[in-house]
Parts: sequence; C-alpha cells; structure tokens
Amino acid sequence: MKTKTELIKFNQGLDLESGARLNTFDLMVETYGELNKDKDNAILVCHAFSGNHHAAGKSSDNEALGWWDEVIGPGKAIDTDKFFVVCSNNLGGCSGSSGPLSINPETNELYGKDFPLVSVTDWVNSQKLLSDYLGISKWHMVAGGSLGGMQALQWAISYPKKLKKAGIFATATKSSTQNIAMNEVGREAIRKDKNFMEGDYLNHNVKPKSGLKTARMLGHITYSSEDIMDQKFGRKFQDIKSKIEGTVDYEVENYLQYKGEKFSDTFDANSYILMTKAMDGYDASFSSNGSLEEVMKRIKAKLLVVGFDSDWLYPPKRSKEIQLAAMNVDVQCSCVILKGEQGHDSFLFASDRYVKIIKGFLDSK
Amino acid sequence: MNTSLIHIIKKWIPEKSKVIDFGCGDGSLLKDLIDEKKIRGYGVEIDHNKIQECILKGISVIEKDIDEGIQDFESCNFDVAVMASSIQCLKEPHLALRKMLKLSKQCIVTLPNLGFWKCRLDLAQGRMPVTPNLPSSWYETKNLHLCTIKDFETLCFEEGFVINEKFFLNDKGAKSAMASTFPNTFASEGIYLIAKK
Repeated sequence: MKTKTELIKFNQGLDLESGARLNTFDLMVETYGELNKDKDNAILVCHAFSGNHHAAGKSSDNEALGWWDEVIGPGKAIDTDKFFVVCSNNLGGCSGSSGPLSINPETNELYGKDFPLVSVTDWVNSQKLLSDYLGISKWHMVAGGSLGGMQALQWAISYPKKLKKAGIFATATKSSTQNIAMNEVGREAIRKDKNFMEGDYLNHNVKPKSGLKTARMLGHITYSSEDIMDQKFGRKFQDIKSKIEGTVDYEVENYLQYKGEKFSDTFDANSYILMTKAMDGYDASFSSNGSLEEVMKRIKAKLLVVGFDSDWLYPPKRSKEIQLAAMNVDVQCSCVILKGEQGHDSFLFASDRYVKIIKGFLDSK
Repeated sequence: MNTSLIHIIKKWIPEKSKVIDFGCGDGSLLKDLIDEKKIRGYGVEIDHNKIQECILKGISVIEKDIDEGIQDFESCNFDVAVMASSIQCLKEPHLALRKMLKLSKQCIVTLPNLGFWKCRLDLAQGRMPVTPNLPSSWYETKNLHLCTIKDFETLCFEEGFVINEKFFLNDKGAKSAMASTFPNTFASEGIYLIAKK
C-alpha cells in the first residue's frame, strides 16, 4: 500500500467558530493508495477523539498499526487498491497538526493552554482547505466513527456539493448530557492533577500523567460495555507476574491501568481538554436553532448511518435520530444497527456485515 | 413479486411522490420507481442479505422489524406506503394499517386470499391450503393472520378506510374476468389502494 505522511502548511488562515483566528496552521496528513486521473476516487476519513492521521498500516516495525487498519487497506472494506484515502490529525490534536504542542507563530512560544478552542465545524473547514490543496473537488466519501462520524455528518451539511457519500458510524448529531458528564469527569481528573499547573505544565517541564491516566481509564469503560467486560475479563484475578500496579486484584483493573498508563505517555492533556470540549460542543442543529431537519435539508450526499447494539456511549437510538431526520427532509439515507462485539469501539473493527455494508455503499451508484 | 402485481403498484404511485416500502426485499420495486417515476423512496427490511442488496443498488434502506417500527416514521409525511405480501405476517395487521395511514396519505396493500377456491378445496379435503402464493406448509409459514378478500374489505369498512382502487389476480398471477367478478372465490391475490376517510 502506497503510504505518504506529510506536514502541510496553510498560510491562508482559518477563522474558528469561537471567534478566534489562526493566521497560519499545519495539518499532519497521511494518505494511502493513489489519486486517479479524474481525482474522483478520494475518501476522507476523520478520526475520533484520541486518534490521529495514522489510520492504516505501519511504516516501520516500531510503529503501531493505524487506528482503522482493520477497515482500510488493500482488499479491505475501504480498499486502497481502488481508493485514495486521506486522514489528517485534527487541529488542536497532539500528533503533528497545529495544537497545544506546537509553536505559536505570533509569539514564537508553545501554544500550550492558549491554543484556541476548536470545534467539529472548524475541523471540517480545515479539511476543506486540505481537499483544495490536494486538488480534490469532490470526495467519493467522507467517513468516520464517533467524533469522526460527527465530522462526516458536518461535511455533508457544510459542503453539500463536495462529497458524494458520507459514512456516519457510532455517532450522534450532538453529544448527550451523559456524554458531557463523562467527559467532565475526565477533565476534572486532569485539572486536579498537581502537575497540570492550570494547563501551563509544558513551561514547568512536567506532565499531568496521573490525571490523564484516570481520564483514559474512565474513557475505556465507556468505550466498552457491561457484557463485553464480563466476557473479556469476568472476575478473573490478575496474574501477579504481569501486574502493572501493585494494588490491582482483578484483570480488568490491570487492563485499565495498562491502557491509562500507555495513553498518558503519549497524549497531551491540553489536547484532551480541547478534543472533549469539541465533542461536547457539537450540535449539528445549532446553526438552525435546534432544528435538525432544517440543517439536514442542505445535504446532497447519500448517507450510510451505522450504529452498534452494544454501544452505550452513542447508542443505536442516536443513529436512528440521524436516519429519521434525513427521511423527514428527503435526504437519501440507509441505517443499519449491527451486532457489535466491542461496545462503542465496534466501529473500529472489521466485522463481516460491517465490511460488506461499507463495500456495498462504496460500490453503489 | 409477480410482474402484474409490480405493474399495478407502479401504476398507482404518482410521479415524484415520497414512498416508503415496508418489507422492501432487495429494493427492486423502489429502484424501478426511482428510475421510472423519480420518486423519493425508502425501504424497510429486516433480512440482512436483502438489506445488503438494497445498499448495493443505492436504495435507502432502514433495518427494522415492521412489527415494531412503523410508528417511528410518523413525522415523515409519505405520499404512498407500500406493504406487499407482508400484512398477514404482522402481529396486529389492523393496527399496522392504522399506523401506515398515519404516516402516509395512501397505502398499497397486497394480500393472499384464503377464500380462493383452491384454498377452500384444500380445506374441504381436510388439509391446510398450499397454493402458489401460500407456498409454505402450516409449520413453516410466516403467515399469522390470513384472511379472505371479504374479511379484508370488512376490516377496511370497520376501520373507516376508503378503498380507492382494487385489483385481483388469479393463481397464474394474471388478470381474469372470474377473479375480477367474484374475487372472494376466484382471486388468489388482492391489491388495494386505501386511504383514510
């Protein structure tokens, strides 16, 4: 699979929903496969909260497989032999695109906590500039799951003529009260970490690792489900030899400790706050005073909405809301609820039906 | 679905109308209607393979059990709702019809006629009817609420539905004078276009 990773600099500036402006910004972008002559085989995939531009494959032995590697690749659901797949790290992220870890060109200092609030719509606007840069006037599909699904939906709303299809997976038109509540617990854990320093930790050469870790542990509980945790870990005791924390008794505790620890090594706390704030703040109907139908009238793309039965973060009823609003305003939209073995995370995994449905959707006229 | 039936359903559906097909199968009817009549169409289906075929055809399909989901679409203002060869499989056909006429101005229903003479003959011989449009044996059939043409029209009367059009086919799936004149005995299949009063 032909893979290219590139940092692209944008000098035209971007006005953000918050009213702030980035005069210049960078996007870290990875692409797979080749753009054809007509430039009509391009697919944009949008990453979820903790993902990044590295969606598929791995360029070296040390690198982990991309977050959607089960779905993207030669012969896979999103077939890189046929399609040119593009994924960028969202603004405000911490994997190379402009964000809290980059230098503010105005001050020549790290942005840190001063990186402006970004929104799903801002990301979509930045990706639109990316598509102009790549010379892609119409995406064959824009797709994503969770926070990435919100971007796919927003693409269809913001730039109706710029995409043929949108794959909207395991997501909602807005975060629920419970979603916001969970995110706030995560943020609180970070803010109360003594190393957080009100977001100024970079200048003190410390990292609020324990806060990040706790936030991620909670996150992992919400991405899974009661049944799945039962099946995966049950009440099995942790083998003493592989305990990563002395106090743990059960396997599930060890798993969360491990995942949290790993995450806190790599993720940035200010990014965490920015990303979750963007997720909480998203409401597709915001620009039309809460009428989802009104805003969805603009959509010209064909939609594929997929929910997963074990997802309790963005449960199937959230998917059905999108479908119903689409049907109300004559937008073409299919909706399926799949058996998900992995709770909210199911959208990441290539289950048989999911693969078939994505393929069918991509091949359809 | 046989071709005369499809032909009649197509004839009754106005150009550019908004159509929902309950039990849309592989989406062929909707596909034809989109191509020929420029309708805005949606299908509802529960069978995984058929859903897959709909998606491949580019038909908007919603995975749902009709028994549970009709009322979900109440806000959508359809012009025509189609329920072809499925009404007798539902748990509560009369409620399903009421719900369909809440979300749509008109409703096309097709149903097998248990009063068809061959069915009567089977029953007279002491066996459950097995005919071309009631092909399954009693233990395999999905049909829960079979009725005769007379039964269906009585239900429409009692529920206050108007029958705007009706059409009858014999067991060859064709129009016949006998089926049209004495449908309760000679029609194998009835096709109705109904609306609320």
